[in-house]
Amino acid sequence: MSRVGVLRFPGTNCDRDIWKSIELKGHTPQWIWYQDEFSPEDFDAFLVPGGFSYGDYLRSGALAALSPAMTSLKKADAQGKPIFGICNGFQILCEAGMLPGALMRNENGRFIDQWVTLKLENKSGWTPAKVGESFRMPMAHADGRFFINEEGLKDLKDKGQVWLTYTNNPNGSVADIAGVMNERGNVVGMMPHPDRALFEWMGSTDGLQFFDWTGEA
Amino acid sequence: MKFALKVLPKPEVLDTQGRAVQSTLQSHGFDLSECHVGKYIVLEVNASNPAEGEKMATAMAEKGLYNPLIENYQLEKL
Amino acid sequence: MTLQEKLKLYRINETEYARITELLGREPQGVEWAVFSALWSEHCSYKSSKVHLKKLFSQSERVLQSFGENAGIVDLGEDEKVAFKMESHNHPSFIEPYQGAATGVGGILRDIFTMGARPIALANYLCFGKPTADRMSELVDGVVRGIGGYGNCVGVPTVSGQTNFHESYDGNILVNAMAVGLFTKDDPICLSQAKGVGNLVVYVGAKTGRDGVHGASMASESFDEDSESKRPTVQIGDPFFEKLLIESCLEVMKQDLVVAIQDMGAAGLTSSGFEMADKGSIGITLNLDHVPLRDETMTPEDVLLSESQERMLLICKPEKLKPLQDIFHRWGLDAVAVGEVIEDPVVRLIWKGETLTEMSPKMVVDNAPQYERPFNPWTSATRSEHGEISDGDVNNESLLATLSHVTGGDKSWVYKQYDQRVGANTAQDCSNPVGAVALPSGRALGVVLGCRPHIMRQDAWLGGMDSIAYPAIELASKGFEALATTDCLNFGNPEKKEVMTEFVAALDGMNKACEAFVAPIISGNVSFYNETLDKGVSPTPSTGLVGLRPSIDNIPASGFTSEGNSVVLVTLAKGCSQGLLWENQNKQGQFFFDTELAKLAQDTKNFAQVVNSLDVTASRIVGNFGLAYTLSRMTLDRGLGARIQWDGPAGLEPLYQVVLTVADTQKERLLSSLASHNIDATVIGVVTGDRLIWNDLDLSTRDIKESYASSWTKAFPRLS
Repeated sequence: MSRVGVLRFPGTNCDRDIWKSIELKGHTPQWIWYQDEFSPEDFDAFLVPGGFSYGDYLRSGALAALSPAMTSLKKADAQGKPIFGICNGFQILCEAGMLPGALMRNENGRFIDQWVTLKLENKSGWTPAKVGESFRMPMAHADGRFFINEEGLKDLKDKGQVWLTYTNNPNGSVADIAGVMNERGNVVGMMPHPDRALFEWMGSTDGLQFFDWTGEA
Repeated sequence: MKFALKVLPKPEVLDTQGRAVQSTLQSHGFDLSECHVGKYIVLEVNASNPAEGEKMATAMAEKGLYNPLIENYQLEKL
Repeated sequence: MTLQEKLKLYRINETEYARITELLGREPQGVEWAVFSALWSEHCSYKSSKVHLKKLFSQSERVLQSFGENAGIVDLGEDEKVAFKMESHNHPSFIEPYQGAATGVGGILRDIFTMGARPIALANYLCFGKPTADRMSELVDGVVRGIGGYGNCVGVPTVSGQTNFHESYDGNILVNAMAVGLFTKDDPICLSQAKGVGNLVVYVGAKTGRDGVHGASMASESFDEDSESKRPTVQIGDPFFEKLLIESCLEVMKQDLVVAIQDMGAAGLTSSGFEMADKGSIGITLNLDHVPLRDETMTPEDVLLSESQERMLLICKPEKLKPLQDIFHRWGLDAVAVGEVIEDPVVRLIWKGETLTEMSPKMVVDNAPQYERPFNPWTSATRSEHGEISDGDVNNESLLATLSHVTGGDKSWVYKQYDQRVGANTAQDCSNPVGAVALPSGRALGVVLGCRPHIMRQDAWLGGMDSIAYPAIELASKGFEALATTDCLNFGNPEKKEVMTEFVAALDGMNKACEAFVAPIISGNVSFYNETLDKGVSPTPSTGLVGLRPSIDNIPASGFTSEGNSVVLVTLAKGCSQGLLWENQNKQGQFFFDTELAKLAQDTKNFAQVVNSLDVTASRIVGNFGLAYTLSRMTLDRGLGARIQWDGPAGLEPLYQVVLTVADTQKERLLSSLASHNIDATVIGVVTGDRLIWNDLDLSTRDIKESYASSWTKAFPRLS
């Protein structure tokens, strides 16, 4: 059984959803409060859940990225621990500089809740899924348009850091990007919600396998 | 001592708010070729002289008040 | 200020003023004006509706809490309970749509978590004017952004909604929000009675500003040069703050640190303070100068009347103050003792050590005026005596026209802006007639809204009855049993006899249906004076029903799912209306309804059980515009068509029928199950191909989808 640290910021609202997802896969979740620093050694992996940390004020994820728990999370990254940010969690990891790019207001200027289909472009340390496999799950965000400049995009592609793409780009993301990883493949982030595709009654079970890591990038 | 930080999206980045405002203004018959929407942040810093104040305000901006990937800022003493 | 000016400012009429001087034995002084103004307002006292609300069916075996608290509570069994309520925020949303709608959502959520329940679902009932009416695009945009902005951020999914358009709402839109909260095994129910002499009165949450002070009366006055400084500010909601308030309040309640709690809603500190004392038959002191202020120049009266958002008043034991404050501080919130519970049954208002007044809460609350506004007995103008009502002319062209009209078209532009799945419990989202969320026990909770304004315009009694029966049948068609109801009674000026007549008739229709369906009304509000320049809104008693289903799995879809399925039409009652089809052609339609409500309710209950005992692949109530339109909606999900062979009406709105689809192999079992309950059901066709074919009607499902999808941009070209 693995111990998974779940970060909670003021305004995080998918924390209990993530908790359930982790338990469903047989791992042991444990809360990490944003004001507390922690020892990376006490955990096997980390999840940064979605929500509206600090009400999305200033920029989505910007204020959360400055909190003490994030200082410890960067240490965990340095040790190569698996770290996964979903939705607002992805925004926080980008703002903290742990993932490349930035997430901006959707092209239509609005919050969008809809089902999307994703494609796995490159293997990260998370999910046993294979390159080319596709997944159906919901997305729900206002600031999900992935942006990176041309040079950065070339770099991402060259280094195989594009993790997931949309088959039908819903928000204007550069190169249809829905999720990216760091160079080492231990830190990943995605805008759509695998935590909302766990049971048939939710409409899909494709999200389940995202709560496992293989360590092979 | 007050400083203002003007934060605007970088020119190469699609500014969705600016675009929406621009098209609304144009639909009302206004003639304009560009519009950008950003943030204006006022900081009252406790500094003993303007140079120190400017240094402090710059440090705050660099700490995270703007995102260098997508935004530029200008500092102004009020 | 002259007496006349005072009466106008405080919205107290001459008779009420006479009553006040009689009760006090003198003229009201200082802040007493503000107290009476707030507590005797229509909003707080229900003075025009109370005599009628008392007659409501409001109890059942499942009801743990009915009217009188922040929200009603029903017992679901298996150690689960839900609190729910619906409230209007019409006037503020018309003035400032974003903040008006947002603070409406914030207010209804506070009513729920104040009781100790964790909010798990939101639903919104919206009525807008004609798309071309003045400001209408802006209002629609602002309201939808406001609801989304608040609900998405606090992390409560919006799972159901209804959006209507009609010219009667051109000058008064309706924004009604419903919230549902869940208590699991160890969650205590917290009430609002002040208790325990010596206990502390604690103020929690956002600082108090001048928001909303004298809002209503100032709006109707001309401004003078001094007004600028006194002008009420728009109430601004902060969903981030509310989220912190939810988490911290639930934590202090769970740790048993709270004796009583009440949110500060309309009329703010005044109504929460007086009501808590009144309910506990006890007294409290309130040091108004201890209240955290956003603006230090505020007067005691401003503090009493402020409607600043995200604030709570609670009572705790003195020794619990420190642990309570620790929890609030951890969440970044202030908690300040502002008074204490006293033996004397009075509310003592203190400012900087000086007692401004002390008043008996009983005297103020129990003596609030109650009016018996005049009304006439209900007589129906559009009822057809014998049920001989002609069918509408439904053909390819007219059906596509309905689908591309704003009243029959796609409204996903609205709900796509709401987070419908945060919490990871949503099984049926806003694209379905009934919203459904999973309960920890593995069962499903259904949430549905009712009231079809066009039926109300046709006949107020029928419309009132329909506001309960229609959503109850929608629940049943997905296998849910309706448990209880909340409502928002949105009407025009109750001082007009015709408005009051419709109010009484609608309430009677609702009440009879609630009793028959055993879906008691356990919470809600009344919103009168939805009127501009003498023109009132259509009477709109919106309702929210919750229902229970034994399992979250296999809820029938709302559209055709599989080639070869049989299409079955189930008839639950005898009646029909020449509904929206006629109205959209500016014709006065007729209706016919001849069914005993008790039988309808029993059949509906049996029907729900049949739905759950068989593998029903899809279900949909036959609603607005009749059967042809309903079938066309069922093709949208997957582009599957149907071939219909039936000689019934295509364009009449039945009261009440449901379309079901089942695999061909299940058909006989379904029919015999329904027959065993004496419920009429007929196979009317088969799901097949990519065309909807019925007599002269022959449309490709792609054309249906295109027309349906085009409606929004056609109506609101500026909203994309």
